[in-house]
Amino acid sequence: MAIDSLVLGAGQEVGKSCVVVSINGKRIMFDCGMHMGYTDSRRYPDFSLISNTGDFDNALTCVVVTHFHLDHIGALPYFTEVCGYKGPIYMTYPTKALAPLMLEDYRKNMDRRGEDEQFTSDHITECMKKVIPVDLKQTVQVDKDLQIRAYYAGHVIGAAMFYAKVGDAAMVYTGDYNMTPDRHLGAAQIDRLQLDLVITESTYATTIRDSRYGREREFLKAVHTCIAAGGKVLIPTFALGRAQELCILLEDYWERMNLKVPIYFSAVRNFDRSLINAPGPCVLFATPGMIVGGFSLEVFMQWAPSEMNLVTLPGYCVAGTIGHKLMSGKPTKIDLDKDTQIDVRCQIHQLSFSPHTDAKGIMDLVKFLSPKHAILVHGEKPKMATLKERIQSELGIPCYCPANNETVTVPSTHYVKADASETFIRSCLNPNFKFSTYSSVDKSYLDSKYSKAASGLQVSDERVAEGILVVEKGKKAKVIHQDELLLMLGDKKHEVQFAYCFPMHTERLQKTRTEELPSADTLLCDLDKCTLINQLSMKLSNELSDANILDLGEQLQVESFRVSICSKNSCPHRLSHSVHNDSESVFLCCHWSLRDEKLAWKIISIMKSSSPHTT
Amino acid sequence: MEQHVMNSIEQSLNNNQPLSSQTLASLRSLIINPTTSDSSLSSLLDALTRSLRLTRDSVFLHHCLKLLTDLSARRPHLSPFAVDLLRSDSLFSSASPRLVGESLSALLSLTSSQNDIDAARFVSLCLGPSVPVRLWLLKNAEKFAIRESVLLAVFLGFTRDPFPYVRKAAVDGLVKLCKNGDFNDRDVIEGCYCRAVELLRDAEDNVRSAAVRAVYDWGKLLVISSEERNKQDSSDAVFIQLCCMVRDMSMEVRLEAFEALGKIGLVSEDILLQTLFKKVLGINKDKIYKPIKVFEISASAAAGAFVHGLEDEFSEVRMSACYSLHTFTVFSSQFAGEALNLLMDMLNDDSKIVRLQALNTMHHMATCNHLKVEEIHMHSFLSTLFDSCSVIRSATRKILKLAKLMKLELFKLCIDGLLGNLETYPQDEVDVFSVLFHIGRNHGKFTVLMIEEVSTELEPAFGGKLGFDSTRVAAFLVLAISAPLSNESDVCGVPSRIFSYAVTWLGRISYALSDVMNRETLLAYLSKCSRSSTISLADFKIKEALPTVKGDMPSHLCSEVGSPVSMPLWQKGVETFDHHHQKLFLGKSGTHLEYGLRECDELRQSVNLVFRKVKDLWSLVQLGCTNEALKAISRACKEEVASFTTDSPGSAGAVAFTLQYLRVIKLLAAVWEHLMPTKKLNCYGVGKLELLLGKLDRRLREIRNKFIGLSKAEELQILELIVVACLLRLSKIEICCYDTAMKKLSSIISHVEILRKGGPIEPSHFIIEVKKLLNDIGSSSGGSTCKPLLFKKLIDSFSLHQFVLGGSPRHINAELEVPGNDSENPLPFIPGIPASIPLAITLYNVLSEHRLWLRISMGEESTQFVFLDLNLIRSSDEVREFTFVAPFYLTPKAISFALRVSIGIECLQENVHQVKAFGGPKRELAYLCPEEEIFLCKSTKW
Repeated sequence: MAIDSLVLGAGQEVGKSCVVVSINGKRIMFDCGMHMGYTDSRRYPDFSLISNTGDFDNALTCVVVTHFHLDHIGALPYFTEVCGYKGPIYMTYPTKALAPLMLEDYRKNMDRRGEDEQFTSDHITECMKKVIPVDLKQTVQVDKDLQIRAYYAGHVIGAAMFYAKVGDAAMVYTGDYNMTPDRHLGAAQIDRLQLDLVITESTYATTIRDSRYGREREFLKAVHTCIAAGGKVLIPTFALGRAQELCILLEDYWERMNLKVPIYFSAVRNFDRSLINAPGPCVLFATPGMIVGGFSLEVFMQWAPSEMNLVTLPGYCVAGTIGHKLMSGKPTKIDLDKDTQIDVRCQIHQLSFSPHTDAKGIMDLVKFLSPKHAILVHGEKPKMATLKERIQSELGIPCYCPANNETVTVPSTHYVKADASETFIRSCLNPNFKFSTYSSVDKSYLDSKYSKAASGLQVSDERVAEGILVVEKGKKAKVIHQDELLLMLGDKKHEVQFAYCFPMHTERLQKTRTEELPSADTLLCDLDKCTLINQLSMKLSNELSDANILDLGEQLQVESFRVSICSKNSCPHRLSHSVHNDSESVFLCCHWSLRDEKLAWKIISIMKSSSPHTT
Repeated sequence: MEQHVMNSIEQSLNNNQPLSSQTLASLRSLIINPTTSDSSLSSLLDALTRSLRLTRDSVFLHHCLKLLTDLSARRPHLSPFAVDLLRSDSLFSSASPRLVGESLSALLSLTSSQNDIDAARFVSLCLGPSVPVRLWLLKNAEKFAIRESVLLAVFLGFTRDPFPYVRKAAVDGLVKLCKNGDFNDRDVIEGCYCRAVELLRDAEDNVRSAAVRAVYDWGKLLVISSEERNKQDSSDAVFIQLCCMVRDMSMEVRLEAFEALGKIGLVSEDILLQTLFKKVLGINKDKIYKPIKVFEISASAAAGAFVHGLEDEFSEVRMSACYSLHTFTVFSSQFAGEALNLLMDMLNDDSKIVRLQALNTMHHMATCNHLKVEEIHMHSFLSTLFDSCSVIRSATRKILKLAKLMKLELFKLCIDGLLGNLETYPQDEVDVFSVLFHIGRNHGKFTVLMIEEVSTELEPAFGGKLGFDSTRVAAFLVLAISAPLSNESDVCGVPSRIFSYAVTWLGRISYALSDVMNRETLLAYLSKCSRSSTISLADFKIKEALPTVKGDMPSHLCSEVGSPVSMPLWQKGVETFDHHHQKLFLGKSGTHLEYGLRECDELRQSVNLVFRKVKDLWSLVQLGCTNEALKAISRACKEEVASFTTDSPGSAGAVAFTLQYLRVIKLLAAVWEHLMPTKKLNCYGVGKLELLLGKLDRRLREIRNKFIGLSKAEELQILELIVVACLLRLSKIEICCYDTAMKKLSSIISHVEILRKGGPIEPSHFIIEVKKLLNDIGSSSGGSTCKPLLFKKLIDSFSLHQFVLGGSPRHINAELEVPGNDSENPLPFIPGIPASIPLAITLYNVLSEHRLWLRISMGEESTQFVFLDLNLIRSSDEVREFTFVAPFYLTPKAISFALRVSIGIECLQENVHQVKAFGGPKRELAYLCPEEEIFLCKSTKW
């Protein structure tokens, strides 16, 4: 089994996020974004790679959209209404509520610029009808096999990471996320899951950002100094996202510092234009963000000539906008068009709030999730390569950063369901832990990098490990207790026995006896055997103080090791048959089982050393 | 009814039938009914006992258990029987583990003492299949008297349990065990630590947060058991390990991690700094720690731990991170500087508690002189002066009182901030004035510059009318009048008329400065300053006369080092005052005394601060980082205590006491080091230890005998230290002189008893334990069997309490001199005939009941004691100055020789001691002055 990830967009670039993942026969499209930088066919993902025939309903199980930014949702109306996808689409409630606004806004802008209309207002409405909203942490059963679940991702309101599971294979697609909280959004939050694959964004693959507090401090200081001196503050923003954060920040500050200076929001309701030039300090939020036109430009033209006033700029301004001109060096004059020229004397403050996680955040998340594989998307190629190296070397997780229209295939987990016998279940219920030192530790318990390094005292609980998996032909696999195995197989227990027969020079041991006996060929009588065994026993108990030596008359037993005097002329266990017929030798025949091997050889060596010469 | 029920019981028992559930129900009603007679209840007990033998039915057993618990709860006198029955095998040997668990918990609830369930049964119950029973047993394990080793094995084993709650209980058990137990086996410690580290990656939040605690606690043991040179590294490794958890997804785990981080005392500066930067610092790149073999952790894991904590989503975590920072700011000024950058940002936090905690942490930094405020901080910092919450404002002002600003601009910003505060919140006036006064005193030169700038504002505007309605003017006046009292030398730039302006504000200003001086002094001071156009010597004296506020002030600001002997201040100072003031001051001598006392209060505060620091440092000693602790204590001695002024009455005693106390603690720490488990005592070590112990005894004797006016609580604390010294001696067989030490110990303990009887003071837990042990030893064996392990354990339970100096102890002290004698001008003597030695002696604070001895020794061989009869010297107790002619009898046959003379006080509280020299003191002496060398030369004139 394998997971195939076909990257249709945001592969080694930022824009038009779209990844189609096939797990165990299910195909999910994560995000359906558009690229803002292109106006040609490169604007949308190449949907033909999903299906040549255009039968997307059968080719895809569902579409999942993480949040309402256009590079994650921009192509959705096109895909559903123009390409004709009719299957389910999942997104969170806030995304569903806000997405039509964003799409409509974009469509209007496109109109204004005189570009070809890709979809209409009706398309957006129709498309949104197909959307199924989900709650955070709600498990949605898309069909019999596919489960998806949304987790909080920070970033913007409604942004989510999505967990998808088919059978035993599971993966997470993060979308855009933020690992540090800000004033209005929390940090991404996810459970510790068993994952085969994580697809994560990597906008800041190499950047490590400072704490947001520094940025807040600078902003508040600039605003406060300005209004304290009686100036006016213009904050051009987009309606959603940073505006909320700045509002909360200012409101909190105002309340704390007991400030009475008014704060206006031009976007919420119609703003009374007479207030623009009202005396006294004020703060004004106005759209659009980069001062391209509209109300923010109108106010800017009036306020810019006074050095008491302040204009804050968003972190990123598109080239060609006034915002961009203000950012790139401080101009004193800006030519709006041929006739109008703005005299810029006001102070400029640049904001640098970003809702994306930084490199450390990505590493932290991947480390926390510890998936078997990771794929990076939504980033710049060289930086992604650096991060990829770090993930592979520091976390030991294989990592990929495919380009657009490439497919990455990773193996997935597949569990075999097995029955368990009652004895096995019973043995599982009772704890059965063992303590050991690390030299003899069973390596199968070392699941993590850390425990491999463990030392000294170790503990293991073997209650599950003691089972035996039996897979019979045509039957379901079954786990049984080891005691049951023989019964089940209807077989006898075999045990490996070792045997060794060696001669022993008895001259010293039994001086008196050999004199009386006429020939060594004659078998030793029972009594003699006993004496010999007895002597051996004495000898052994001297040497092995802690062993339990049983003297059974004709033979000697230590654990499973038995030794007796060999009465056969040709014992099969004798190493060599051409052994010299030493008249004063008796043969000792030893048997032992595998577990006492060490002990056995120790005993044999003791016995051998007690005879003057050895074979 | 009673009879009826009893009969039916009899019947069924006689038929060898178990009791029916109906009968059991009626039994219960009998038990509950308070009128049921005792006799029927005891026969009921009998019946139960019998029927327990008959049946093993679990329903019945369950009922039975319930009945027994009810019975013993309602009839306490029958409880022992019920408990016996509960203990009997019938319930315990039941097949149902649940029933066994219940009977155990019933037993526990009935008997308060530890229960004697044997280890084998405990383990077998734990290993049984019933998970709830297992969980219950693990949670209540410490209530049974079970060997630590068994518990350890059980807990460690169950950290592998598949049930997360069992794992959590097991880890919690390990933590408790680690705190109470006595583990020296490095293997065990390493094993437990490793297991805890493994559990940090558990899938369950609960287990992870318990594992964080376990890593901290076992990590502590790991550090202690490490070899001396690896201690720092191990401690760092544990710290980094905990740092890994601050990015956990669960808030509880993060909270736990920061709490643990704050408790680790010893971390190297590189690692600490790393926690403030997300980027891995160059110095920490590729730095790998191996706290135990084959176990690695990279220093980069600590990156940005505190940064993450401070920008956490939850205010609890942010607060905890703020709090944890404050422990480390003590150790490293560089860390404190970097942390300050982050903390200043926390002042913009939306949670009030977090802001307050950040301010508290800064205050802590200021008290250890690690607060370096810079320009970029000023906006956020001063903005807290405008905070709508008064607690925040006052916390900020508290820091400003201590702040040491390097630049004039910063000073001006602060003053502006304070003025703004005053303007916005007029209710803060008192506190703001007080802060202005303090800040002015700390920055004399800046104040003068500032006043020069604003002096036009202070001048009368029209026709001699002052703009006195403005609070702003009042604030500047307060600032101005503080300048002459500045600690910076030669500040005399404030025009004298300013002071006369200030007089018109006397009421408001004196109200605000009531913690520094009262109205009369203020008036005197102001009129004095307004009179003289230049700051004269007299003003300088006034400066000394006024109390310096040191309560929280960074100590380096106070540079005067006073003489060790306290001279009542007004005796010195008054001489230079002009007549008018002399009269004034003499007239108000009562008030002066008050000031003296108040100043004492302030001194006491700072002394107690030092004591607190010592107490904090003691934890380092217990961790085995003695060198670091010793260094810090020495620093405290040298810099802080030395900077206390000693020129007010009573302060010299306190300072001397503090120094002595610090010496004692230093020695104690040094001795303590030898008792660490890793320290192998060799022959050389024995000698050294013996030497140290001797020194310690001497110092303790001094602290006990050379100070009078200690309160009982203070005395008790000193006694506790003596007890520790005794125990230390007893715990090492190599050096212990068992009988003597035991005698001393018991005498000290009985002294504690006397103290306790005399007043409402409670001896510490430690003392009580020692007493118990003494009783045990006394009762168990009359013989002198050495039990070093027992003592060792007791010592381990000792933790240094903060010494609180309540009163002003007086230091018994002496000065000894032979006028005009040195090696060039020896005293004459005739060999064989006693020589007379004229000694000029000054005694301080010696009472007439004290027994003083002159110890005159010649070389090593001969020592002679001469008793100083104080009754012969008529003088006050405080200072006695007289000349005493001491005879020296055993003049040798030599041309010249040198004598060493010193004065000792007989330690009246010590046991009578056999002293070799006849006629000498019966008890040990504590010496009041350094030995003085006296030279004698054979007289040539007969």
